[in-house]
Amino acid sequence: MALVEARQLTKVFRRPDKDPGMRGAVKHLFVRRFVDKTAVDHVDLSIDAGEAVAYVGPNGAGKSTTVKLLSGILQPTSGEVRIDGLSPQKDRIAVSHRIGVLFGQRTQLWWDLPVSESLAVLRDVYGIDHGTYRRRMARFEEVLELGEVLPVLGRKLSLGQRMRADLAAALLHAPPVVYLDEPTIGLDLAVKDRVRQFFRTVRDEGTTVMLTSHDLGDIEGFCRRLVIIDEGRIIFDGDLEAVKDAFARERILNVQTETVVPLEAARAALPGAAIEAGETPLHLGVRFDRFTMTAGHVVSALAPLANLVDFNVDEPSIEDVIRRVYSGELVLQP
Amino acid sequence: MKPYTAHARAAALSALAYRGNFLLSLGGAAVQLIALLAVWKVLLADGQVGGFDWPHMRAYLVVAFASATLVGTFVDFRMSHRIRSGLVALDLVKPVDYQRARFAETAGGVWIEAVAVIVVVAITVAIGGALDTPPGPMLGLFAASIVLIVPLKFAVSYLSTLACFWTENFVGVLWARQALTGLLSGALVPLAFFPGWLATTAQWSPFAGLTSTPALIFIGQASGTHAVLLVATQLGWVLVMWYGARLLFRRGLRRLTVNGG
Repeated sequence: MALVEARQLTKVFRRPDKDPGMRGAVKHLFVRRFVDKTAVDHVDLSIDAGEAVAYVGPNGAGKSTTVKLLSGILQPTSGEVRIDGLSPQKDRIAVSHRIGVLFGQRTQLWWDLPVSESLAVLRDVYGIDHGTYRRRMARFEEVLELGEVLPVLGRKLSLGQRMRADLAAALLHAPPVVYLDEPTIGLDLAVKDRVRQFFRTVRDEGTTVMLTSHDLGDIEGFCRRLVIIDEGRIIFDGDLEAVKDAFARERILNVQTETVVPLEAARAALPGAAIEAGETPLHLGVRFDRFTMTAGHVVSALAPLANLVDFNVDEPSIEDVIRRVYSGELVLQP
Repeated sequence: MKPYTAHARAAALSALAYRGNFLLSLGGAAVQLIALLAVWKVLLADGQVGGFDWPHMRAYLVVAFASATLVGTFVDFRMSHRIRSGLVALDLVKPVDYQRARFAETAGGVWIEAVAVIVVVAITVAIGGALDTPPGPMLGLFAASIVLIVPLKFAVSYLSTLACFWTENFVGVLWARQALTGLLSGALVPLAFFPGWLATTAQWSPFAGLTSTPALIFIGQASGTHAVLLVATQLGWVLVMWYGARLLFRRGLRRLTVNGG
């Protein structure tokens, strides 16, 4: 049986349906109307021990709601969740020892106490003995440079410091399952790199990780499995590299020419490719499939039309693929 | 037990972070105490009102001040903030009982208020002379009823902060509750001044235990079986509200929506 298992998981929120303005607000006091919004819609998900899963989707797709259902914070409208065979809603205390949750937009640190005190509370809450605590803290120091953060009061932390401290807080009890919800939101590049490095060490130690992020840089090189959710439904669940291979077929050759090449002329010279206007009339973008055409072919087809001053090739990243999935331009088959 | 002592300890430490706020609100309460003492001294200059003479009323007001200061409004704001801000979500993924953890925090923060009460009472005694204390066993009962203020007040606050699951607004709930407790606890005027039916209702309500019960025992207006019964009522309400709050919390969780992040 999988370590994390969701079957037909559904969450429906009820929202007041008010007409705009004062009139609507007053009317709502007397005539209460509500609309149901299905945030998570019959989601089936099963994650094995040691997997690192990227859970992505546009804003409002139901990512965070899924994480809250999987960690037992929200009660599902229907369907069920099992973590290591236990229900996080019914066996809350037992499950809480097995999961660690980081919400990038929230902190669990005590506002007016130094970080070290917040962590000490968690040590006692999870019943971690002092030897183990010291060992884990030493590791956090090594990868997250936590030492400099420990004496700082919760409310005086910078965002980067706060996120590192919150990561330590979420992982202090070495849970076998970790949910990371937007763990790098708002961080600068240097801190982001360090945090991502830390995720890799966590994964390499065998921890099961489910990562939700809008920053696909968090995902590449970290997660092997990609799950895409949109409007509460899972629309793709499969291997991340396979998606990349399948949809990274496309290349864009950006060309700068000495004299203006009319788009029609370029299109006539390259019937198999899509020609787009560039930033100036002297720039062109040629979109082609690398299995039917080569960059050399494109260059030699354009050469008779004008002198080429410069060119470069764009490889689409997983980000482009996912952006096209969100916009409905691309439908992935798992 | 250790998770809860850890919460209590952290709350005790963080109480110091708010000493500025606390001292200001304490100053306000002390001014109110002085004003009430002055008014009642004039009113009771020659004789009694409703069975209270000046020494009794003075002791009553001092005890009322102490019970108002213990477990202050800060506790309400802290607990309602947890629910409204969605921090409760993070509490739910911890191996702790939410209610016990909040109680541990409340109990942990009481020490600073207790110190303040002792200082203010000492000043009052230094200026106006010693207060008459009840005989030994009744003094013990008085101490028990003062200690019971902590879980009782916690339960009242905790229950009203749970309203945030439904109202998503707390200040209105707090004002309504303060008006109700101010009146029915005997903090405004002793319950004996009320018309009979209201006095009886108030006496057996959970609120009397917040002020009236310890104050009446201290000044000797409640003694013997009557006093034991009043303290038992305090304890009874603590238990009823403690378990009632658990039911309400479970229902509230079903209403929980945590938006964003």
